[in-house]
Amino acid sequence: MMVPVRCFTCGNVVGEHWEEFKARAREGDEDPEAVLDDLGVERHCCRRMIVSHKDLVDIVSPYQ
Amino acid sequence: MAEEYDVEFIERGDRSARFLVRGVTPAFANGIRRAMIADVPTLSVDSVRVIENSSVMFDEQIAHRLGMVPLTTPEGEFEEGDVVTLSIDVKGPSTAYSGDLVSGDSVVEPADDNIPIIDLKDDQRLELEAEAVLDSGKSHAKHQGGVAVGYRHLQYVDVVGDAAEFEEQEPNILRGVIEERAAEHAEGNAVNGDLVPTEEFDNDLTNRYPGKEVEVNDVSNAFVFDVETDGSLTVEELVSRAVGSLEDRATELREAVQL
Ligand SMILES: [Zn+2]
Repeated sequence: MMVPVRCFTCGNVVGEHWEEFKARAREGDEDPEAVLDDLGVERHCCRRMIVSHKDLVDIVSPYQ
Repeated sequence: MAEEYDVEFIERGDRSARFLVRGVTPAFANGIRRAMIADVPTLSVDSVRVIENSSVMFDEQIAHRLGMVPLTTPEGEFEEGDVVTLSIDVKGPSTAYSGDLVSGDSVVEPADDNIPIIDLKDDQRLELEAEAVLDSGKSHAKHQGGVAVGYRHLQYVDVVGDAAEFEEQEPNILRGVIEERAAEHAEGNAVNGDLVPTEEFDNDLTNRYPGKEVEVNDVSNAFVFDVETDGSLTVEELVSRAVGSLEDRATELREAVQL
């Protein structure tokens, strides 16, 4: 629903990078790989947290 | 421990560093690693009093997310079991961030200000009080200050001969840090005794020693540590507190077994 605060595997804080990643690579047209490198999300365990995330708050909020 | 050991930084940052320790046994190196992960206490939100939560997430989910937010933990200010109260009050439409947490103690604050906690829509509101406690990684991973802490032997490369002529050399992948002992065979201006992270030659020994047959060996009792923290303390604080906790326990043991 919301991006996880930390990486499930290593415990690194990844939540803080989501909004910039979303703006640049999902809504923008930058290469996700380059954006993650730029954000300093190095390990592939942390990268998958961001790459595989989908915001669902907008989808579930009408059904509150 | 009476004998001195030698520490040399290879990369040094606030939250991530790589350093070489010489003159320690593998057991002691692993003791430091384990102390960094499980024994250095940090503050984390442990219980919340929810005043209003009309967001799309349950109270428990919000509480869990707050628990994962790293909080700065200055040395010596707190004891295990101490409590710091933080509060948050955000009205939609907007997103509640970790930076919206207001701390009751000015030295304790979220290490990162822009972690989204919950996205609030029109007429939704999040108001709560959270209690952060000091505890160690042993009791819950959220209290773990060290992230991805590890070590490996310092290594050195012996050039044992020439690679077979007219043959394409296979890549020879090595990760970590090497201590240069065959500078005369290395590419570039290498000096014996240099500490070279393998990233410098793309982790491939054939880039550094082209056309040579090499053998990789461990330098005994020399370990390269890779340490990252979640921001609740700096690498330097984490390492020194970890060593301190080892020392405290060793002293306790010595006193306990003394006649
Ligand atoms: Zn990770």
